[in-house]
Amino acid sequence: MNPYILSVLLMGLGLGTTVTFASSHWLLAWMGLEMNTLAILPLMAQHHHPRAVEAATKYFLIQSAAAATILFAGVTNAWLSGQWEIQQISHPIPTTLMIIALFLKIGLTPLHAWLPEVIQGLDLTTGLILSTWQKLAPFALLVQVLPDMPTLLVGLGSLSVAIGGWGGLNQTQLRKVLAYSSIAHLGWMVIVLQYSTLLTVLALTMYITMTTSVFLIFKLLKSTNMNTLASSWSKAPVLTAFTPLILLSLGGLPPLSGFMPKWLIIQELTKQELGLVATLTALMALLSLFFYLRICYSLSLTSSPNNLLGLLPWRMNTKQVTLLMTTSMSLSMLLLPVSPAIFSLVSAL
Amino acid sequence: MSFPKMTRLLSLRSLTSVHQQLLLPSIPTRLVPSRTLTQNEYRRPGKPRENLPPWLKIKFDLSKGLEGIKKHFALLKKELTDPWVGPEGRPLIEHMLEQNRVVWEFRGPESLEQWTLSSDREIGGQSEIHLKLGRNNNTCFLYGTLCSAPPKDGETRYSGYCTVRSKQPLASFDRKKHHDWSSFNSLHLRIRGDGRPWMINIAAETYFSHQKDDIYNYFLYTRGGPYWQDVKIPFSKFFLTHRGRIQDDQHPLWLDKINTIGFTLGDNADGPFQLEIDFIGVCKDFAHTEEFAYEKYKRNPEV
Repeated sequence: MNPYILSVLLMGLGLGTTVTFASSHWLLAWMGLEMNTLAILPLMAQHHHPRAVEAATKYFLIQSAAAATILFAGVTNAWLSGQWEIQQISHPIPTTLMIIALFLKIGLTPLHAWLPEVIQGLDLTTGLILSTWQKLAPFALLVQVLPDMPTLLVGLGSLSVAIGGWGGLNQTQLRKVLAYSSIAHLGWMVIVLQYSTLLTVLALTMYITMTTSVFLIFKLLKSTNMNTLASSWSKAPVLTAFTPLILLSLGGLPPLSGFMPKWLIIQELTKQELGLVATLTALMALLSLFFYLRICYSLSLTSSPNNLLGLLPWRMNTKQVTLLMTTSMSLSMLLLPVSPAIFSLVSAL
Repeated sequence: MSFPKMTRLLSLRSLTSVHQQLLLPSIPTRLVPSRTLTQNEYRRPGKPRENLPPWLKIKFDLSKGLEGIKKHFALLKKELTDPWVGPEGRPLIEHMLEQNRVVWEFRGPESLEQWTLSSDREIGGQSEIHLKLGRNNNTCFLYGTLCSAPPKDGETRYSGYCTVRSKQPLASFDRKKHHDWSSFNSLHLRIRGDGRPWMINIAAETYFSHQKDDIYNYFLYTRGGPYWQDVKIPFSKFFLTHRGRIQDDQHPLWLDKINTIGFTLGDNADGPFQLEIDFIGVCKDFAHTEEFAYEKYKRNPEV
């Protein structure tokens, strides 16, 4: 893509999220969301491939419907209560509509069906932006809206963890696996939203860090399905050794960073006397862990029968920039010991 | 044009249209099909358009309905139980380890039902194509006659093609299913031809791109003679065409939603032809790392 156009689109993406973050009026927040959607559409369709066009079309329709519902809910709230402020949304009907629209924006169950197909049609870089950056603005609104509906949030969050786990089980395409992983992690974030927005923000931050590293790893290995991962040892042996740790971090295993949000969320749920919910959610997270382990199995724990001729790719110099990948990998693996510092940092924000 | 003039003109036009609708006798309008031109079925050039409403095109039959219920519910049950085993009903370890997969092999009459034949006889030409099982019911035998004389309908200028195409895989209740060949990178055929050059056509899913005539093609040169020919064509070699015309904006074939594969003969050489196919499969060649064989030209090159 022309670098000027690319920079305009990326600036549009950044501006859209910033506008939503900085807004206290529903119209401005809606504008930020629309800017985000419109800025990412050319990035999705830039390759002019039918699948990319399909992903962009589906994304546009879903996000427009969600944005229109957000606008409708905001306008309805203004009509009923006279308030345009985001934090002053009080009437139950617009609040529920708003929550459902924001869930559609992020791809939470039961409005998740679009996410795997859309991410499957994109290249890994655009899929990364979709899975990480595009979640920030809706979450900023969710955290501010903070409805008094614990049953809805906990129920849909748990359902999301379950469906994210079940759905990812039968996938061979890595992008779809990451989409279902996204759905499951969003479930964790939403479960605790009612009780501690800080933990939601913490879970979102950790998820963004871990997902960034996984997407960038798959981009470096040029792998989009499990079969291709089998030959990763010849492309980057050290990465092949470290990637399972990142995947286990995504699965929430101690002593890796991914354990931190899950541990704190389970602790908070237990404090709120939702021990059964905490137990069931933790058990359903095992499903996600299973498909992460499966990727590890294909990547590092087995060597598939292949006959590689010629010089192995890892012996040749690569010109790929790996700074972001290595930084996010380090953060994804090593942050658990500094959990108290991180928690107090997030509380201070 | 000034605003008062426009409003006068508009009101005059609306009055005349109302006058036409209410006072003039109603003229029966020609029945126009409600679907757009692109969605209608193929119309043979020279023949008038069929204007039947949809309910007159379907033949209702109780036994057919009962058979359909049995078939579709069986398919639905299979769809619901397959994920318990693994993707596409096979354990994941098979998907991880497989390097070759036979997609079509012709071992019985039911294998021929997965294929559709077509030739320019549909547009009034004189080519013929037939499909039957080969010797010992082990292969499929495609044979016929090619004739490039164009039909005398006043519209068609060129003719002479014969094609066989696989049917779209369908899930329960006739929902579209796709072949997922993303674990593979080459098409593997075992064929025995008569020296004629064929074209392999692969059609991917085009519902959302609105380009339903987009097909990816490559050549299949047959050797002729009594010996079988193993043909391995990497998917990176397939180029994009639309209605038979090679496109400038090329992109590689994505293998996760393949609809159909077909073989076309249109070499302008009139006469009989034969092609015997043992199997059609896909394979993963680890030595083949090419992503796409064709470079794209820059539409706005820096000068």
